[in-house]
Amino acid sequence: MTTLTSPLPADAPAARSDVRRPTARGRRHWRGAGERPSAVATAVLLLGALYCLLPVVWVVVASTKSGAELFSSFTFAPSTHLADNVADLSAYRDGLFWRWMLNTALYAGVGAVLSTLVSAMAGYGLAKYTFAGKNAVFNVLLAGVLVPAIVLAIPQYLLLAELDLTNTYWSVLLPSIISPYGIYLARIYAAAAVPDEVVEAARTDGASETRTFFQVAVPMLVPGLVTVFLFQFVAIWNNFMLPYIMLGDDKLFPITVGLSGLLNQGASQPAMYTLVITGALLSVVPLVALFFALQRFWQVDLAAGAVKS
Amino acid sequence: MRLTTGTRIAALAAATALLASACSGGGDDAGSGDGGSAAGPVELTFWTWTPNMEKVVDLWNAEHPDITVTVNKQDGGDPAITKLLTAIKAGSGAPDIMQAEYQKIPQLVSSDALADLSGSLGDDVAGHFADGVWDAVTLGSDAVYAVPQDSGPMQFYYRADVFEKLGIDVPTTWDEYADAARKVHEADPKAYLGTFSANDAGWFAGITQQAGASWYGIDGDAWSVDIDSDATTKVAEYWGGLVEEGVIDNKPMYTPEWNAGLNDGTQVGWLSAIWAPGVLSGNAADTAGTWEMAPMPQWDADAPATGAWGGSATAVTSQSEHPEQAAEFVTWLNTDPEAVQALVDETGIYPADVPASTEALSDPPEFFSNQPDFYEVAAQTAQTVQPFTYGPNINVAYSAYNDEFAKATKAKTASAFVDAVGAMQQITLDDLKNQGFSVSE
Amino acid sequence: MTTTTAAPSARATGPSTSGRRRLAPWGFLAPAIVLFVLFLALPIAYAVYLSFRTEKVSGLGLGSGSRTEVWAGLSNYAAALGDPEFLASVGRVALYGLIVVPTMLGLALLFALLLDSRRARTRTFSRTAIFLPYAVPAVISSLLWGFLYLPGVSPFYDLFERFGWDVPSLFEGDLVMFAVANIAVWGGTGFNMIVIYTALKAVPSELYEAAELDGASQVAVALRIKIPIVTPSIIMTAVFSMIATLQVFAEPTTLRPLSNAISTTWTPLMKVYRDAFTRGDLYSAAATSVIIAAATFVLSFGFLRLVQGRAFGQEK
Repeated sequence: MTTLTSPLPADAPAARSDVRRPTARGRRHWRGAGERPSAVATAVLLLGALYCLLPVVWVVVASTKSGAELFSSFTFAPSTHLADNVADLSAYRDGLFWRWMLNTALYAGVGAVLSTLVSAMAGYGLAKYTFAGKNAVFNVLLAGVLVPAIVLAIPQYLLLAELDLTNTYWSVLLPSIISPYGIYLARIYAAAAVPDEVVEAARTDGASETRTFFQVAVPMLVPGLVTVFLFQFVAIWNNFMLPYIMLGDDKLFPITVGLSGLLNQGASQPAMYTLVITGALLSVVPLVALFFALQRFWQVDLAAGAVKS
Repeated sequence: MRLTTGTRIAALAAATALLASACSGGGDDAGSGDGGSAAGPVELTFWTWTPNMEKVVDLWNAEHPDITVTVNKQDGGDPAITKLLTAIKAGSGAPDIMQAEYQKIPQLVSSDALADLSGSLGDDVAGHFADGVWDAVTLGSDAVYAVPQDSGPMQFYYRADVFEKLGIDVPTTWDEYADAARKVHEADPKAYLGTFSANDAGWFAGITQQAGASWYGIDGDAWSVDIDSDATTKVAEYWGGLVEEGVIDNKPMYTPEWNAGLNDGTQVGWLSAIWAPGVLSGNAADTAGTWEMAPMPQWDADAPATGAWGGSATAVTSQSEHPEQAAEFVTWLNTDPEAVQALVDETGIYPADVPASTEALSDPPEFFSNQPDFYEVAAQTAQTVQPFTYGPNINVAYSAYNDEFAKATKAKTASAFVDAVGAMQQITLDDLKNQGFSVSE
Repeated sequence: MTTTTAAPSARATGPSTSGRRRLAPWGFLAPAIVLFVLFLALPIAYAVYLSFRTEKVSGLGLGSGSRTEVWAGLSNYAAALGDPEFLASVGRVALYGLIVVPTMLGLALLFALLLDSRRARTRTFSRTAIFLPYAVPAVISSLLWGFLYLPGVSPFYDLFERFGWDVPSLFEGDLVMFAVANIAVWGGTGFNMIVIYTALKAVPSELYEAAELDGASQVAVALRIKIPIVTPSIIMTAVFSMIATLQVFAEPTTLRPLSNAISTTWTPLMKVYRDAFTRGDLYSAAATSVIIAAATFVLSFGFLRLVQGRAFGQEK
């Protein structure tokens, strides 16, 4: 219906401009962008936000309650025991919760960094080269998402037991590094963000393939790699099944396994709901902080529409 | 030359990898079972979910510098057993000492996970425990697979204040219990004397145990499965009838809703075991002093009986490289008077060791401070626990219970409850045969 | 979009270059391939191997050596496919997928378009709020929603009571499907919204400012221009969501102790868990997982075939 009368300049900014353009027919026919706020649109967004925040608000309120109040007071009426609950949680077995927090940061931080590196290399290799077997390799790698963690858990344990690595930090780190979805994202991003000319230019300059990758491609890939990092960080942070099977020593547990243990004490002990809820609240905080810190790097840009040169 | 972004990132990755390997050094120390050579102290790992067990173990470590025991707290129940069995299968990763619930022992023995302790125990150990409890750790043979730690004889817990207000006497027979349930529900349609939980198979096993059922049996060289015995069917029909009438609730226990019910008086009673004070004070601390405990209602008033729910023993795993020392610890933990006292004080369990427990338990638990003879009544009920044999596929039976009774409690008819028992029998029997066990029918 | 002219004359620096270049991609792929083989391929192969075996016990089975692993042929597969519980769970998960995927993607698309529209206010706040559930692990979010669903502790049911409405509990009967679906939608919409939103952000605004100048309404612009351009993102998101939905496990497992309406085999993956962890029967679990993986594979690649080729338009 609408034809573009002017070709897009090669270096058109990807960000939108908010410049007003009066039409030839005068300003009163101007169809404003960013002019009239839409009540409906705002309302729908706020409704969505409310829906998503509701359980989070519940957690915040619930973690201010003492154990007795948790089951006897009105749900959204906050109480004053947050400090007590945090103290109780910290006192549980001499601060084991904070050890769990550190463990989780280690697993997620180191795991995500290593995973991002591996995914970036694999994605770059798949995006920037043609070679026999490329599609087969990619499809097989991607097929990895088809297999759920439960199925892999016990065979992975048996494998690591052969290497005598079970019940160590490595047993959780190593399997976390391979991420088919991360490789997929990295490939898309490498294809879109690293132009072939740049790679060719580096080659003609005499750079080795490795140097081209690390010194030319990676800086251009940083925003996408941050996304891959964030994705894998969250996935490892929230992972339950793998550390559950691999770890017997509860000093190595991440928060997910630790909190689940507090809930599942067997029939003869009460589940420690207050500790679990407070722990859940505390465990979400670092993730949220990380989101805010890395927000400006986000670009989960999936190929179509990425007009960059 | 300034480091470029790419080089910086590569350096960061290398640094994190080094950091990870440094940290794994700390983790490796947490391996299992690799005690020192004959010269150094023996190090044992102990998988348990009993709360505060570390404090009891600290006593041992202080007095036995040559044998150090480290506690690794696990999830309660099935998950820990699965981890153990996976480690046994893999040939490494299992602890030296393992807490094992009584109903899991046949399964563990059948998977070759437990070491036979009969050579390492003194002759007097058996005499510390009631016959039924000792049978559960020997499976009727000469081998001893674990030493009993705590037991869970069942009693009836109820809100004494509600009973007084409604003028209800403590029921001594199941007919009286049904009447009491009706009175409670009539007075307040939201209140129930109890709930039938399709999620707690151990509870159901215990109440059928009281009626004389034993879901498995050993006939010489073969297992028998007897879940649909008359006793069990009678019990199922009784409860199905009450749920159908609407005077007993049909929701699972141990949910936030049930906890709320304990607090606000909509759950007026609870058929539970001797560890109930811990759960009640954890979930409904504000109702302390309003509950009382009585023996379970009886089928036959002249022959008092009760069942058991929960309770575990301490076993030594077949992967342990120091079974002698581990057996020494296990015996100490469960029979030494000092250890038993510590168990009572720190962990709140009801020890299975008869002589030591009578000494250790004189005052009632805090939650039941209104009932000074709490432990005397409990000891009496403990003597009436009926025999019960668990089989090697008890998990299948329990899982079948969950599914079949979930359907029945949804249907809310007595006949559905009876059908559920039949279905459980069929599923358990089929699975046992499928696995290749000798089964006599 | 500029295209590269193929550069056959890149042998500027000597005969080893093209050899190095042929090997280079394999070098970049090496770590991924090694890790994949170790931690995905080998375990999968072992699981497939196990699916053809089973364990037999002899006698009372109480001594060591009473258990032996034997060849089972296809009997594990036959048992799984013939199990009415398993087939019911497949049907359930299909229905569950039909509820969750369109709802979640529809909401994600709607929110993404609204975030892109410049006429909506509170965009940054809403974007962050809607994304937040992604940070909550499935086990915790099921627990939280459990508290919000259970009549005894839920503020909603408190409210319903005050109005005198008799709303049935979500945990009785068939409504439990919606309870579980809601948790999945709640947790996944934000992430998918961001995926679609960033694809939208990269569309140059000239494309639709021209349309707006011509008189098209915002809605028409959205429908006729924006959505078609980001369709590849939507498709890939749909595929990954489908795969995740078919593997639903954590939410129903956490909710099961709270409800009588969820059995231990409510979804196919729960059956795998029950077989492997509760019954200790790795062999049936392996066979069932192979069936699930194969079905997921067929469905996802079939779906991709159907919407052919729009996903990877960027590479040469």
